[in-house]
Amino acid sequence: MVTVQESEYWRWPEKIWVDENKNWQDAEVISCGIDLGSVSTQAVMMADGELYAYANIRTGTSSTASAEKAVNAVLEKIGDMTRENIHYIVGTGYGRVSIPFANKTITEIACHGRGAVYVYGNTVRTILDMGGQDLKAIKVDSRGKVINFLMNDKCAAGTGRGIEVVCDMLSVPITEVGELSLKVDEEPEPVSTTCVVFAKSEILGLIRKGWSKEMILAAFFNAVSSRVVELLERVGVEPDFAITGGISKNVGVVKRIERKLNMKALEPKVDPQLAGAIGAALFARALYIKSKK
Amino acid sequence: MVTVDELPEMKKFIEWFENRHEYARKWKEETGGKVVGYFCTYMPEEIMYAAGILPVRILGSHEPESITRPYLHDMYCPFCHDTLAQALEGRYDYLDGVTIAQSCLHMRQSYFSFADRVENIEWSYYLPFPHGVNNPHAADFAKHEFEKFKKSVEEWTGKEIADGDLDKAIEVYNKSRELLTKMFELRKADEPVLTGLHAMYIVVSSQVVDKAEHNQVLESFLEKIENGEVENDREIGTRLMLIGSEDYDAELFRLIEYGMSYPATFVFEENCTGSRYFWGLVEGDGDRLMALAKRYVYRVPCPAKDWARGDFFGRRRFQFIEDVIKKWNVEAVIIAQMKFCDPHELDIPSLREMLDKMGVRHLHLELDLTQPVGQFRTRVEAMIEAMGEEDLFI
Repeated sequence: MVTVQESEYWRWPEKIWVDENKNWQDAEVISCGIDLGSVSTQAVMMADGELYAYANIRTGTSSTASAEKAVNAVLEKIGDMTRENIHYIVGTGYGRVSIPFANKTITEIACHGRGAVYVYGNTVRTILDMGGQDLKAIKVDSRGKVINFLMNDKCAAGTGRGIEVVCDMLSVPITEVGELSLKVDEEPEPVSTTCVVFAKSEILGLIRKGWSKEMILAAFFNAVSSRVVELLERVGVEPDFAITGGISKNVGVVKRIERKLNMKALEPKVDPQLAGAIGAALFARALYIKSKK
Repeated sequence: MVTVDELPEMKKFIEWFENRHEYARKWKEETGGKVVGYFCTYMPEEIMYAAGILPVRILGSHEPESITRPYLHDMYCPFCHDTLAQALEGRYDYLDGVTIAQSCLHMRQSYFSFADRVENIEWSYYLPFPHGVNNPHAADFAKHEFEKFKKSVEEWTGKEIADGDLDKAIEVYNKSRELLTKMFELRKADEPVLTGLHAMYIVVSSQVVDKAEHNQVLESFLEKIENGEVENDREIGTRLMLIGSEDYDAELFRLIEYGMSYPATFVFEENCTGSRYFWGLVEGDGDRLMALAKRYVYRVPCPAKDWARGDFFGRRRFQFIEDVIKKWNVEAVIIAQMKFCDPHELDIPSLREMLDKMGVRHLHLELDLTQPVGQFRTRVEAMIEAMGEEDLFI
């Protein structure tokens, strides 16, 4: 029997990282990409187009402060780099317009396309970006240039925010829900796919019926993956296929999408939640080099 | 040199648009005439105008509301809810009558509730209008209904509409159509001085004020533009065409034309607050009601009346759109459809297919009472980036 308690099960681990094997001062161009999403913010520092350092933190109530916080966290981790050493900054994500120190803003759709090629290699053609508040199906060419895209409408069902709500309801940490949902003998029917509030009501009903956490999560992720596959099929899935954004770390969702599409998703070389910020940093590098010509 | 926004005529259009209720109240006070609100642009306004009535299009306010649910289903389009909400809020308390030319079921329900619930409405008329506008007998049907409509107007006002009155009304309305078409023609220019926001204010204000008065202001406005007295103060960027449901939400135009990271300008609006309202004149002498019927039946149709199969004349709306894209040098299309508008939803797959064949990029936005500005911005910007992203790659 599931018991519901007050806690922060939705909270995912923030991370600040630097490549200790590299010296940024050897690089000709230091470019920075900031992906200010509705739930998480990533600041990525690239040295000559290679990932050098990043911060992945939760977006706060102020977009500008969140961007500042992420960049400062990376700089602090690097130690001897200052804001002046960064040649070009591109802001992306839902809050991109609130990054006053960015040299340019580019949509997260273009950035995820470009970033996915870095994270997954240039064979990727169809990208599913599963973010905190929306879903995007993006088709790209070998350089990561967007050919076509579709974005879900105003609804949090099937997004990171929806999953956070369910984690809290079931008292399961967000990092564990994916694995747990796969521990079922038989896949249950999906819960409502139209609305996160409807899904929540249905899940409450399932809790009262005595369903196990595993079964409830399986039913929920079954619904999430159906919704996502619907969007993907509208844009048309061309191999190779890859998932970016925070939910790409949820094996319960990924496996179910793979099953429904009858297609394996590519394995990432780096954290796929960074794809948007990596794309932004790569565009920043290109824009800086072009501005110098 | 001045900009469009500095012209007194442009200020007048905006004032008429924003203060449409005050205008109608004042008109009534000054003329002692009757004001009739109408739903749908299939309404032959000329017949009312000939009777000395001021026809005004019923519009919403784009403000959240929760008072229409007892009358309209949740899944009726936001335009129907918004228009009825205005009535229930008492904002149309100056109307003497209300009428509709049959277009879609959602709007018809809004009309019936409007007519029933607004106390000041003394005359209401449901005008059946042929759905099969591509049927060769449609004009006869419409003419017959226009005769009955005219009779009802005459009985209500107690005054016969003479042929001369009708001629005069047709003349005023045709003049308006010619001027509005000219205004759209000016947007073919490489550097058009008018934006979609300007065009929307101009077309929609013409739907809510006395056409003769509007014509005077519009004529003077166009003269100034044609004489080169107006300068462009903004970058044109991507040339966009808007296709879809009624759209008089200034916020959407401001976002796309004035509020994005990339410049973009609407050069044509194919909707009923744009070209579908005024394109095509009333032509022919003698049988005036037949001339009117032919104009309304053979105008560029609303998707509610332009069927995908079994057509007599082919899909006239799509032919029109294809022609506009070529002549106005349209680079991308924004399909903006009112949420739950089934006729548009049914049309969009075929429209997309046509645009794909033409190699014209397109983006679909679903309109609601208020718009999700951030999401729309991301989508439109991403479309423009995808059109010219080369600069971002080494």
